[in-house]
This record gives sequence, structure tokens and C-alpha cells, in this order.
Amino acid sequence: MSVSNVEDRMGLDNTLEEPGRRAPLIVGGNDFTSITEKVCGIVERPKPPKGWYVALGVSAMLMGMLFGLIGYLVLVGTGVWGLQIPVGWGFAIVNFVFWVGIGHAGTLISAILFLFRQKWRTSINRFAEAMTIFAVICAGVFPGIHVGRVWFAYWMFPLPNQMDMWPNFRSPLLWDVFAVSTYFTVSLLFWYLGMIPDLASLRDRAGTRVRQIVYGVLALGWRGANRHWQHYEKAYLLLAALATPLVLSVHSVVSMDFAVSQLPGWHTTIFPPYFVAGAIFSGFAMVVMLAVPAREWFGLKDVITLRHLENMNKVILATGSMVGYAYGMEFFIAWYSGNSFEGFAFLNRAMGPYAWAYWIMVSCNVITPQLFWVRKIRTSPWIMFFVVIFVNIGMWFERFVITVTSLSRDFLPSSWGYYSATWVDYGMLIGSFGLFFTLFLLFLRFGPMVAMAEVKTVLPEADPHHGQDEDHDHRELADEIGAPEDPVVVAGLKGAMPAGDKYGILVRFKSPAELMKAARKVRDAGFTRWDVHSPFPVHGMDRAMGLRSTKLPWLVLAGGITGCASAILLQWWTNAVDYPFLISGKPLFSLPANIPVAFELTILLAALATVGGVFMLMKLPRFHHPLFHSRRFRKVTDDRFFLCIKARDPKFDNEGTGAFVSTLGGDAAEWVEG
Amino acid sequence: MKDSIPTDVIQLGAAGSAMRMAALVVGVISLLGGWFLTGGGESGHDTFFRSYLVNFTFFLSIGLGALFFVMVGQLMRAGWNITVRRVAEGLASGLWMMMLLAVPVYLGRHSLFEWTHADVVAADPMLQHKAAWLNDNFFLIRLVAYFALWLLMTWYFTSRSTRQDVSGDPQLTLNMGKWAGPGVMLFAVTLSFASFDLLMSLAPHWYSTIFGVYYFAGAVVGSCAMLTLVVLIFQKMGKFGNLVNAEHYQDLGKLIFAFTVFWAYIGFSQYFLIWYANMPEETIWYLKRQTGQWTTVTLVLLFGHFMVPFLGLMSRHIKRNSVLLMLWASWMLLMHWLDMYWIVMPEFSAGVVPFGLADVLTFLGVGGIYLSGSLHFCCRHPLIPLEDPRLHEAIGFENA
Repeated sequence: MSVSNVEDRMGLDNTLEEPGRRAPLIVGGNDFTSITEKVCGIVERPKPPKGWYVALGVSAMLMGMLFGLIGYLVLVGTGVWGLQIPVGWGFAIVNFVFWVGIGHAGTLISAILFLFRQKWRTSINRFAEAMTIFAVICAGVFPGIHVGRVWFAYWMFPLPNQMDMWPNFRSPLLWDVFAVSTYFTVSLLFWYLGMIPDLASLRDRAGTRVRQIVYGVLALGWRGANRHWQHYEKAYLLLAALATPLVLSVHSVVSMDFAVSQLPGWHTTIFPPYFVAGAIFSGFAMVVMLAVPAREWFGLKDVITLRHLENMNKVILATGSMVGYAYGMEFFIAWYSGNSFEGFAFLNRAMGPYAWAYWIMVSCNVITPQLFWVRKIRTSPWIMFFVVIFVNIGMWFERFVITVTSLSRDFLPSSWGYYSATWVDYGMLIGSFGLFFTLFLLFLRFGPMVAMAEVKTVLPEADPHHGQDEDHDHRELADEIGAPEDPVVVAGLKGAMPAGDKYGILVRFKSPAELMKAARKVRDAGFTRWDVHSPFPVHGMDRAMGLRSTKLPWLVLAGGITGCASAILLQWWTNAVDYPFLISGKPLFSLPANIPVAFELTILLAALATVGGVFMLMKLPRFHHPLFHSRRFRKVTDDRFFLCIKARDPKFDNEGTGAFVSTLGGDAAEWVEG
Repeated sequence: MKDSIPTDVIQLGAAGSAMRMAALVVGVISLLGGWFLTGGGESGHDTFFRSYLVNFTFFLSIGLGALFFVMVGQLMRAGWNITVRRVAEGLASGLWMMMLLAVPVYLGRHSLFEWTHADVVAADPMLQHKAAWLNDNFFLIRLVAYFALWLLMTWYFTSRSTRQDVSGDPQLTLNMGKWAGPGVMLFAVTLSFASFDLLMSLAPHWYSTIFGVYYFAGAVVGSCAMLTLVVLIFQKMGKFGNLVNAEHYQDLGKLIFAFTVFWAYIGFSQYFLIWYANMPEETIWYLKRQTGQWTTVTLVLLFGHFMVPFLGLMSRHIKRNSVLLMLWASWMLLMHWLDMYWIVMPEFSAGVVPFGLADVLTFLGVGGIYLSGSLHFCCRHPLIPLEDPRLHEAIGFENA
């Protein structure tokens, strides 16, 4: 295995492909310490850059405008929008679908790229997930206000009410409620679970009491224990496996809002995968659009490298081409079907009164991304910035074209009409960007915008075998990091044994490789109550410690089965038994129409079981722990590695174990009080 | 490391040549047998060609899926799959034989496609509308074009890969990576239209925009299952040593699992949207498949092609167990074959599953000839691209 040497890591351009040798994902000579320093530094510095204040000010104003307009809408009624028969779905739905689509990139990066072992995801997944959460919030606003009487919005949920009615589970709009809320919940859990180790880094570095308490509470007492990492990594994998079909389902369900109808231009079988491709397309475009300025402002060019941007642009090219494929297929089948209404709907899109919107859509979505075939364009940050803006414009117009052109001219020419948006429509669209950017900018300032613990795992020195055969440059690096503070440790423990209760002995190491060696020794010595602590999961440590595999998957399976069964029961009982009513000729209990909600609840309960289960198995939150007495231990969320043998271990004896740990090769050791 | 690999581990040798010969002989005899045993005459030939089409589209999908596997691996710079990629290249090389095997499809078009009958078209305004697309000459031109493009891609990716065996030039990897992008795009378009022409136009009034994606999903399931099976068989014959191990099988199993779910997703999307909108011109296609004995086949597909393997392939222990994986790969191949059967046959046999000797013989016929093409490639080249610059990743990798 090739280990990149220091020179290679100093260069900032890592886009050159050399077959057989993976390019470094992090450049600029970064190590564990500098990654923590860089990312936490953004949150800890007293003042953010001026540009941040300006951006936040503008965004907050626009957000205020959005809320003002919502107030106006609620007071006056939906007449303030441009909705008019035949176009009963306008900007609100267009904006909803647009924002939900944007919200697809985050979980795709965290989940699907994780399953595909795409390690480059680590630098961008955190803020892409944040973006997902905020985009889904923006999306959720629109159907909420579209119902007109927002105070009845809770009717969308299957809650018993005095009229003894239940929601209609055969309606795609209800599936949306389940799909979007499940997606929001699971994305939030995924995001938060991933953030816990980084919140612990912020806690351990906190300079003020307030920060220490806030980040301390949010970190739930995380201490990087390998007995935690073991469950945590499994939970992460399971959540990724659950989120992957979930991502696909959400925009599929959104597409069904249109596609289950009989309206020409809406009813076409390719809609679900086509919408998903479009969502990923626009989501990645938004990630690139945010990443280009963010890496510039916050000095993260060596963490979010050109290679990351290039890879994302390739995804944009691929998904943009899938969208182009779907456009072409729709057009071909519109003709091939011989259905004159279908044929007209598509000719009308391309040549009717909304042709301008159609051609904006085609040129932005199909033609613009093809620019990314050119290497120069997909590796130049500011050029790609403009390309992806066009992609986002195009994807908004796609939803406009689908929604409005089909409605404005349906089967009967006598009912045709033309939809024009009002100033309130435009104001709300712009305002929703204000909401999105306000939330996003606040996150950049107060949260860890790069997943530090995950980025550390892709550094070459995170490999526990690193430096075993060609290790001298690594040794030099290690020497720079710091000479052992306590040379005494080789001879024994520093300081006196505590008079009161002892928790155990804590030994510090400088690298995962040393920690791994020590763990094997402790395992072989027959200790049972001990653990290692590290800033990131060390590959192969479970085996080195001799841990048994986690029981978490069984909990998740149980959660999934419960979700599926309860969803089917719920839909059967509410729609076929308790409040039976016929709708669109569907059977009272119609299994196909119940599958979307059954799927969503399966995922939701399985995900809740994953997160609930992992906290149960890790016995977190636990805000106080004896190890937190140690000042040295604060580095466990930064760049140091620890091994702790507890005094409760049956093999523990004061002198013998003290002598034993000094053979482990650590650079410091201490007694921890109980 | 490369020098330490004994050649008999990476060469099929005499056993391979014998298998190739056997496959070819079985193939040719079965096809001839099928032709004569179906009784001749108009209805006998109809039976033959319909069974032939099922098996043609089945083995075509395996060749195409393998081509996709090869191209997408190059496109994504995959490292894990290098040790099994040569076999996939072999399965894709079988497309050369599929080109020859496409000739009977064209010759038998009158037994298959309603729109090739002038009298039917004359009485049907809808078919007159579609005649610009669905006509003999254009059909032939398209078939030739599909195969020309597929074989161009197959030739490019196999010849560059085997050339690298000799030269070890990393530039070849870069070139393949570069052309894999346009290749995959071209592949998507040609495969979709081929599925429209060969399968969707069996019911010429019916249409579905997702149909190409459906055929693609099945093709990837089928080809990954076939790849797994062939690699397992070669390994049982003493090939590969430990260059292919549980890690690779687990990944192949993951692909089978993932595309089984993808197939279900696409199949559900198509069924569900048609079921919900309930428009007669679309539901007719499913109605045929929910009538009489076809209902059972539909349910077998639902459970056998999705629900049971979904549960069965989920565990990593099963994917890492060569016996169980071999069973699942065979099962998925069978289900993918049934899927093709279920697409083709209800158009000709309302309510009755006409399974018979012709199906078996054309399966052996098309399959034998196709596999002889694949084995021909596998015999001529080492089973592992030993000079691929990413080979060490495939050898060293572990599923976390």
C-alpha cells in the first residue's frame, strides 16, 4: 500500500488520477490535530468573517418576509396567490417539490455513498446533511400553508377527532405526509448521531462554561470508547441501509402526487426514478453551490478539496443525463403511445404558451451539466459555481413545467387557462431561500460543519497498520506532534495512588497503531473490564479487543416488522373498518395503495429502534464519568488515544497492573479517581 | 505476488476448451432439436420462436448486464472487482454469439410481432400511427445498430483489458475510465429501445416509459447472479486460488441483493401507477398476467423475485457462504428467466402457462451457444487481469 509522503500532501490539487494509487482525500499536510483545530476553530473564533454577517442579515430579512407573507396569506386567504381554475397547484407545490428535491443530496451522500465505500463523502457529508434538514423544513412550510386553514393541518395525521373521520390512506397526498416526515426524522437522527463525536470535541475544547454545558449536553457524555464505537458503527451502517431506500422512496412518493392521476403529462410510469434522479441532481448542485464559497471563507480548501468538488460534479453530470433520458423517453412514448392527449401535452410543453419555461428547463438541466465533461470546468470552483446555479434554476423550472403546463391545458379546451404568479408567490419563493440560508449560516457558525471524526479515518495515519514497514516519515511526524510528556511512565505511574475509590488506570498513546498493539496485550493478559478510547473508530479494534458482535441488528429487525405490521393494521382499520368510504373506485382495503405508508413506517420504526437501541447498548446519555476527571483525557476527541483498565477488573491489583501498563508502550499514564 | 500465482490457477486450460465445445454442441443440437420437435408448420414454428424469444432476451440481458458491470467498474475506478472482472468481460463477450442468435428473431418476426402483419396493421389505426417506428425495415436497422454499438463497446473494453495483460500500461485504465462515461450513456439508450422493440412491442398498443429501466434492472440481477455462479464454478474447478474469496462473494451478493430490491422498486412503480390510474389501454397488460394460471406466475415472481430473496440475501453470513450463495444466485437466475417468460408468453397464451419442451430446448440452445462464446473468451485469456494497476486493492480488500 502506498503511503503518501509529506510533499504529496502539501499540494492542493489532488484531481490527477494515477491508476493503482488512490489520491489523498485530505491535502495540505493535515493531521488529526490540525483537522480538529481547523473545524472547531470555525466555531470557536470570536468573530466570523464579515461576509457571514452580511449574508445572515440578508437571509434573515428574506426569512422575515416569508413569515410576513405567510401571515398575510392566512389572514386574507389563498386568493393572494395566483391560483385560479384550472391551475389549482402553483408555486406552493412547485416550491415544495423543489426543496424536497434539494434535500436529497445530504442523505444520499451520507447513506448511499457510505454503502458504496466512497470515502470522499467524509469531508462533505455533514454540511450536506444539514442542508438536507433545512431544505426539508423549507419544503414542509408549503403544503402546510397550502391547505389554507393551517390550524387544521393536524388533520393530515391519523389522529382521532370528534368527527370520527380518518385520513384517506389511498391518497398520494397523505403518503407525502408520511414520506416527508419520516425522511425528516431519519435524516435528523442520522445527522445527529453522526455529529455526537464532533460535539464532544467542541465540549472538550470549550473555553467558556456556557459552551461546555451546551455542547456537553448535546454530546451526551460521549467519550470515544471502543465499546461505544462498536455499536455506533453498526448503527451508522444500519441507518445508512435504512436511509438508502428511504431517499429513493421520498421523491418517488412525491412523483406519485402527479403520476397516479390520469392527467396527460403527469401519468407516466417513469416518474418515480426520474424524480429521484432529478432530486439528486438538484441536491448535489446545491451542495456544490454552498461548498464553493464555504471552503473559501472558512479556509477549508485542503479538507473539501478539488477532488471532492470534481466527484460531485460527476454525480451532477450522471444524474443530469438520467433526467435528460427521462425527458426523451416521455417525449418518445407520448408519440409512440398514439394517445392524442398525451401527445398534445408534450407538444404543448415545447411549443405552447409555457414554451419559455420548458426551454429554460431543458437548457439548464440537460445541456448545462454536459459542460462537466470538460475537466477544466469540473475542477474550477468559480466556473462550476455558475453552472450549478443554472442547474438549480432549471430544476425549479422542471417542477413548474410539470405542475403548471399540464394543469393549464387539459382534455377540454373550454377549460384552458393561463397561470400567472402574484407578487406574494414570488415573495414566498424568495423568502424560502431566506429561511434556508438563515438556518444554514447559523449551522456553519455554531456546529461542526465537517465530520471531523470521519475525516480523521481517511487520513493515512488512521490505519492501524500505518507506518509498520515504511514508517520513518511517520515517526518524524509523530515527533513533531510532541515528545512524551512523562518519561517516568516507562518506569511506572506518575503521581500517588488515590487514597479513595479508584476507577482505574488510564494510559495514553499517540497513534492507533500503538493503541492496537497495547489492546492486544491487554486482551491476552486476560483482562475483561477495560476499554480503549479514540477520536475515531479504529479499524480492526473489535477483534484486537476480542469483542463479540453487537445485537443491534435484531432490534432493528423487530422495529421494522412492528412498523410494517402496524401500518397495515392502521390503514385497514381506519379505511376499511372504522370509517369506510369509497374513493376513486378503489377497494376499501387496497393493499397496493397501502404500500407507501407501510414502507415509510417500516423505515421509521426501524430507524427509531436503531437509534434507541444504540443509546441503550452504549448506556448513553451519561453526562458524568470518572474519566472526565483527567485533563489529558480531553484530547480523546482530538488526537490522542487511551486505554483504561478498570479497578473493578478481577485481575486488577494495584502494583501488578501498574507495572503491566508500563509495558504497553504508552507515553503517559495516570490513576483515575472513582 | 503476481509471479507467485501458478498459471494453472488463472488459465481455464483443457477443461475450459472441453466446456466450450460441449456448450456449443449442446446449444446447436438443442436448437435444431427444438426446431424439428415443435412439429413444424405454422403453429409449431410459432411455439418455437416464442420460446426462443424468451431465452434470447434472457441471455441477451445477461450479456448486457455483464457489459454494464465492466463499464461501470471502470467508470467508478472500482478496485474490489478486478479479480472477477475478467469473467464479466467473458460474459459480455458472449454478445458476439448473441448477434448471430438475433438472426432467428428477425426471421421469426411474423410469429412474434403482430405489427409485422400488413393485414393487421391495415385494420388498426393505432398500428398505422406507430408504423413509422414499428416496421420491418426500421426494426432490422435498429437491431443492427444496437448490436453494432454493443459489440463496439464490448470489443473496446475487452481488448484494452487483455492488452493490459501484456503491456501493463496504466494509460489503458485511464482510457477505459474516460470512455466508460459515454459508453454507459449509450448503453442506457440502446438497451431501453431494444427492450421496447423486442419485448414491449409484443403488445403493440401498450406502452410504459419505465419499461427500459425494468429490463435493465432484471438484466443486472441476472448478470450478477450469472457472474457469481460462473466464478463459484471456476473456483470449484480449482481456479483463482484465494484471489477470489468471501469478500468478493459478499460484494457480488450485495449487488444481487441491491438490484433485486431495485427491480422490485421499478416493477412496483410500473404496476402501481397503472393500477392506480386504472386506464384500460394500460391495465390490459397486467390483466393478462392476472388471469388464469398467470396469476400464479405473477405471485411467484412477487415472492420469488423479491420478498423471499430480500429476506434470504440480507445476512452477510449467507453472502459469504459459497454453497448458500450459489443456491441464491441460481435461484435469482431462474426468477429472472421467469420474469422474461412472464413478459413474453401471456401475450400469446391467455390464461394458460404453455410451458413445454420448446422452452427447455431453446433455453439450452441459446444458452449453450451464448456460453460457448463467453467460454471462448475465458479460455483465451488469463482469468484475472494480472497487470491491472488496481489489482492489489481487489486482493487486499476487506468488507468492514
